[in-house]
Amino acid sequence: MKKYIAFLCFGTMAFFSCSDLEEKPVGIIRPENFFNNTDDLQAAVNGAFANIGHNNYWGREFTIALMLRDDMSDIGDRTTQAARIDVNDMSMNDTNALVANFWPQSYVIITAANQAIEGAKKTPGDPAKVNAIVAQAYFARAFAYYHLVRLFGDIPYVDFVVNDVNQVNSLGKTKEADVYPKIIADLEFAKQWLDDKPKVKAVPGKGTAAGYLASVYLTLGNFQKAYDEAKFVITNEAKFGLGLDADFQDLFNATKTASLKEPLFTIDFNNLTSGNYGQDYTAFFTGSLKDDSYSYGQGFSVAVPSLKVFNTWDQRDYRRAVSFDTIIRKKTGPGGSLQVYPSSDNEKAPRPHIAKYFRFPGKAGANGRTSQHNYITMRFAEVLLTAAEALNEINPGTTEADGYVNRVRARARNKAGKLVSFPANVTPGLSQADFRKMVIDERRLELAFEYVRWYDIKRLKIGPEVFGPNGLEPHANFDPNRDYLWPLPGTELAINPNLKPNNPGY
Amino acid sequence: MFTDHKNKSFKWCLLVSFLLVNIVMHAQERKVTGKITSSEDLLGLPGANVYIKNSSVGASADMDGNYTVIVGEKNAVLVFNFVGFQTVEIPVGTKSVINVSLKPDTKALDEVIVVGYGTRKKSDITGSVSSVTAKELTAFPLLNAEQALQGRAAGVSVMTNNGGEPGAPVKIRVRGGTSINASGDALIVVDGFAGASMPAPQDIASIEVLKDASATAIYGSRGSNGVIMVTTKKGKPGKPVIEFSNSTSVQSVNNKLHLLNADQFAAYRKSFTTHTQGPANTDWQDVIYRDGMISNSQLSFSGGAENVRYYVSGTYFNQNGVVINSGIDKYTIVGNLEADLTPKFKVGLNTFTSKQNKEGIVSQTSAGGTGAAGVIASAYRFMPDKGIYNADGTYTTTAPIGDDIDNPYATAMENILETISVTSRNNFFAQYQITKDLDFKTTLGLTDSNSQTGRFIPSTLIAGKNIKGEASVNNTRFSSFLTENYLTFKREIIDRGILTVLGGYSYQKNKNENSYAASRGFLTNTNSYRNLGAGTVFLKPDSGLSETELISAFGRLNFDYADKYLLTFTARRDGSSSFSKNYKYGTFPSGAIGWNISKENFLKDNKTISNLKLRASYGATGNPSIGAYSTLSRFSEIYYVSGDVITNAVQLTSLDNPNLKWETSYQQDYGIDLGLFDNRISITADYYKTITKDLLFNRPLPGISGIASQLQNVGELENKGWELGINSRNFIGADFTWSTNFNISSNKNKVLKLADNKDLLINSAPGHFLATESQILRVGQPVGSFFGFIYDGVIQQGETVLPGNFETAAGGEKFRDYNGDGKLDSQDKTIIGNPNPDFIFGFNNDFTYKNLDLNIFFQGSQGGQILNYTLMELASGNNNATTEVLDAWTPTNTDTNVPANAARTKRITSRFVYDGSYIRLKNVSIGYSLDEKIVSKMGLSKVRFYISAQNLWTITDYPGTDPETNYLNDTNSRSNTNLGLDYGGYPNVRTFTAGFNIKF
Repeated sequence: MKKYIAFLCFGTMAFFSCSDLEEKPVGIIRPENFFNNTDDLQAAVNGAFANIGHNNYWGREFTIALMLRDDMSDIGDRTTQAARIDVNDMSMNDTNALVANFWPQSYVIITAANQAIEGAKKTPGDPAKVNAIVAQAYFARAFAYYHLVRLFGDIPYVDFVVNDVNQVNSLGKTKEADVYPKIIADLEFAKQWLDDKPKVKAVPGKGTAAGYLASVYLTLGNFQKAYDEAKFVITNEAKFGLGLDADFQDLFNATKTASLKEPLFTIDFNNLTSGNYGQDYTAFFTGSLKDDSYSYGQGFSVAVPSLKVFNTWDQRDYRRAVSFDTIIRKKTGPGGSLQVYPSSDNEKAPRPHIAKYFRFPGKAGANGRTSQHNYITMRFAEVLLTAAEALNEINPGTTEADGYVNRVRARARNKAGKLVSFPANVTPGLSQADFRKMVIDERRLELAFEYVRWYDIKRLKIGPEVFGPNGLEPHANFDPNRDYLWPLPGTELAINPNLKPNNPGY
Repeated sequence: MFTDHKNKSFKWCLLVSFLLVNIVMHAQERKVTGKITSSEDLLGLPGANVYIKNSSVGASADMDGNYTVIVGEKNAVLVFNFVGFQTVEIPVGTKSVINVSLKPDTKALDEVIVVGYGTRKKSDITGSVSSVTAKELTAFPLLNAEQALQGRAAGVSVMTNNGGEPGAPVKIRVRGGTSINASGDALIVVDGFAGASMPAPQDIASIEVLKDASATAIYGSRGSNGVIMVTTKKGKPGKPVIEFSNSTSVQSVNNKLHLLNADQFAAYRKSFTTHTQGPANTDWQDVIYRDGMISNSQLSFSGGAENVRYYVSGTYFNQNGVVINSGIDKYTIVGNLEADLTPKFKVGLNTFTSKQNKEGIVSQTSAGGTGAAGVIASAYRFMPDKGIYNADGTYTTTAPIGDDIDNPYATAMENILETISVTSRNNFFAQYQITKDLDFKTTLGLTDSNSQTGRFIPSTLIAGKNIKGEASVNNTRFSSFLTENYLTFKREIIDRGILTVLGGYSYQKNKNENSYAASRGFLTNTNSYRNLGAGTVFLKPDSGLSETELISAFGRLNFDYADKYLLTFTARRDGSSSFSKNYKYGTFPSGAIGWNISKENFLKDNKTISNLKLRASYGATGNPSIGAYSTLSRFSEIYYVSGDVITNAVQLTSLDNPNLKWETSYQQDYGIDLGLFDNRISITADYYKTITKDLLFNRPLPGISGIASQLQNVGELENKGWELGINSRNFIGADFTWSTNFNISSNKNKVLKLADNKDLLINSAPGHFLATESQILRVGQPVGSFFGFIYDGVIQQGETVLPGNFETAAGGEKFRDYNGDGKLDSQDKTIIGNPNPDFIFGFNNDFTYKNLDLNIFFQGSQGGQILNYTLMELASGNNNATTEVLDAWTPTNTDTNVPANAARTKRITSRFVYDGSYIRLKNVSIGYSLDEKIVSKMGLSKVRFYISAQNLWTITDYPGTDPETNYLNDTNSRSNTNLGLDYGGYPNVRTFTAGFNIKF
């Protein structure tokens, strides 16, 4: 018999693989090879602005704190979050939840700016163009530090890229007096390189930087420089695309802000969000509970006008009508139609409400969240009033100073197209003290609920007066040795003892 | 320096395993015949094998045990073998008839336990391993086999993370949580495929839970949470077996909350605020609950021919949940095939395919503010004096009381939330016996899992109203490639001293892909999420890819001397791409010793003690929960609007983390196995202590770094406890048998170290509670400890109130000045509860009487506390309340713990912490098997009918709906800390089942 051969051949796993376990991520941006052109740089700069338009900053936590702290707005519904009540009632402590949110967020903005500033060094392209873009980051950094230094005084100042936590976890505080020059330097760089007239108001321009410089100098009591910077903006009004808009109401109408001249800088929201980015709650917080006037539903009566603010505001002032709502509407009529009720029918906060944000938020989500507001952080009217105030301090009794205030008042006389006689022009020849009082009050009314008043109270040190028994919002426990500065978050001090001690009284 | 490491010998190349076997035979053929019988009864052994040694030539015995085989060479040796019998080798010589009688293999009767990369006789095990049988897994119908482990294995705690929700994920903890922020899930290994998904319970032959380091260290960096080894059913040689089983269950909600009716609600509201009573009287729980239904079927074919064994099975599970509009159906197909190409060479294939379609409802929402409440939470909250619809046909909402939310019926019926998942897994293996002592096995597996979640919020709901509906589709895909290659060497190296050495390597590559698209602004609600393009506002889309590689070498050495002295060493070296630059590789060793005292001469013939073994082990295992690319710095794209236009923006979201490494758990285990009265009673007890070091911990960074937290190796955690399992065959009679399994285990968890040893506060409360902290991590305390004020009852009239107490009037809530400084402030918050139970247990009894069988299974947990957010919300005023408020404080009802009716801030206090202990009759079933005579006349081999009930009876003081509760513990960072929380979860269910099994 023939030999029989069984030949079995089986191979298992003809498999060969080499790996050095190096990660080669696809779809992930690594910082080290990111900055290849000016578009990349712009995206890094935008990281700073995006974080301003964030729930923990301008969208909610920071702005609600600033709004409540002053003598213009009070807590409406006292079952709201305790942290908000504490800010309003001068009873903050180092665990305040609002500070716990916006403090780190401020540094997220600063970190993004620092990344862009560092990245600009690696970005190829025309140096002038690179500088024009990175100047926005300098502005963003100054913007964040300017708010921080006014609220907290001495603060840790980071102007470098953090690659390792050890670079910052023992960093001490920089003195308030040393922070301001750094802010000024950033704004000077921004003023030098920013475009005259950016395409949109969400991008800062030369005028923005100068306007903020004016504000910084006013805060520092350097009136000459405050005046110079404000004057620079006013002189170049047309060139910078600035000016006063005709109807005061339009400043608070989300569908109109994009075409306004008046803003120096806006934080834009467009009704869409991604997580906490693009989230805003200001309309929601200031609208009235039980008010069915709008398709987006009732507000939450968190921040409401201090009653005395409403009662003392001249009824003839168009700005009063724009600033407040005194009625609510309920669906109680036949077929669920809207019926008008006095705002006292809101049992949780039976009082007038702030109307600047709730009335025209554009397209908005439930209760006015996620609005289309482009929040104006500084507008031309403020620059005019800054110029007037500073000039009065340098050289009292000028018609030039009167003129700046009169421009603001003239606009206020345009009552939705109908010219009225109130508010009248400034009485010429006011004494320096009277003018000062007048212009501060003009700022209070013109910029009511626009996050300026608390800083005015602090810089003018008028807390005991405005929170005193005859003030607009009495707080018997107001302590000038404590309350002009806010507490740093206790968690930060715990991680980094070099930040101790906390501000006095906390 | 940067490129340095590339040149180093870090390159691990997996080499080709290529086996060639050439078998050449020269033949002078002749016939050999004979009969193979069993030595016990001398009956023929049909299907027994005979083959010529070192060849592929062989045959099987026929129905009577007779065989015929063609033999070539004179010096050929015939090998006779059969499952369950000892193998016999007989030289052929000149014989032409060879009858052989095989002896039963007593060794094979000793239970075999599946361990990593092999099996061990139970008596030789030195580690701590619990086994769960197929019978226990299929005692009642369950979608997930994981759930069937509850109460079955000591030291294993099992709970779904959303009550009785059809398809809710199941959370398993072996010997407590060994981590804080990293995953605590046990590694699941199915037929050797690590990281597999569980097959259907009916397809599982057995599950072994590897618990101590000695047992799990073979899985190295993935071993510290325990390993669940699943073995699916395989075919056995012999004639085909066809099994068909079917069951139908009816389910109902096992508990409801006692809430106010419309009149009571109106009176309640009016007692502290104005209220206009609505026109209806609705019990919202009745509106959303219904009778649920499960239908569960399986058809399987198994068997084997000469050299091939097969098991093919299909299962179908369909469930209508007890909440309207929720349900699931799932198809599973399993095929297991094994072929002996030669007596030495075996190949096999395990395949698994499943398709699951889940229709979900929204529950356990992370916030319940405007338009965001889940179905269950809103059924509790929603005012009973409103109906489902307004007069104009629109759905009612809570307006104007509290946050405006949709009514639960609308939320359940209008939202669309569907998940379709398809998983397939194919695992091929080849096993070759190289020499008598040396065996090589290689496996190659692929798994692919796709899941699509479609979501639609119609304009009829608050959340969809202004945006005219929102639809989204989220696709994820997970695929894994795994090859394992290992040699096993086993030889008696000295007299009675057996050495077993295992060595191997493996390579696994995982890939995760995802894509997401969403849009808003639809003309109609009829498109659901099936036409995103019909929207007018397109939301930010997303897509991503991440890949990880794991390269490992592993080895195990067992030395057993005279079956008395047992020694095990195990080690694995894992290299993972997701580990940081400076720590790419980790080594995880373990060792164990065992002493079979009962084999010693002085105990050998003891009548009472039939088995006594002492075990001790120590080892290190890891937890590698480091996400792909997470040790690399990165810019993330963030949402930014400039001039109302969405614009590119990036932000630094993580820093380089070059020194991050895995968590390591160091576990010691001491165990005793005791068998009494011929092993009629067997007892296993273990004590263990695990210290987990280098915890993967999301350490909060200084705010000024611009990064909120970074995963760092900080902190230490201790878990220690004991386990006791008792199996007893209480009664073994001809007609009546009774057996009992009891297991109980206790685990104590304690934080040993934290970053800077500072307390860390955690907030788990639903977002709209506006709480900032609810739990605390504190050195010396267990993970998950609740943190808040101690409730001291109601302020009575005339009582002096502590300064800082939130309420001052009589009837208000009173809190304790814990630090005794005379005022109430945040310093008075303290630990107000511990969610970790003192012990958990299971108690199972099986009775048979003639053809009847009865199973009674209790399961329970003692000492764990629950923080109930649901009751906290219901006590806050602006929603419906429980009937507890009928006993609220009033000037005339002062002897009460319930404060006066009012709207209150939802505060984390001990008032809402409850004892979550329970004992539950998990299963009771009665079955009847038809008499074998009748059955065989019908051409069948077995027919059994049964009825059963699950969760029929529970003893508990817990005032919430069910003490088996979880809230939002589905992600790694929350799964270890969010323990014992209750908020708006899908209710647990009581089930009645009737079914039958038929075997052909």
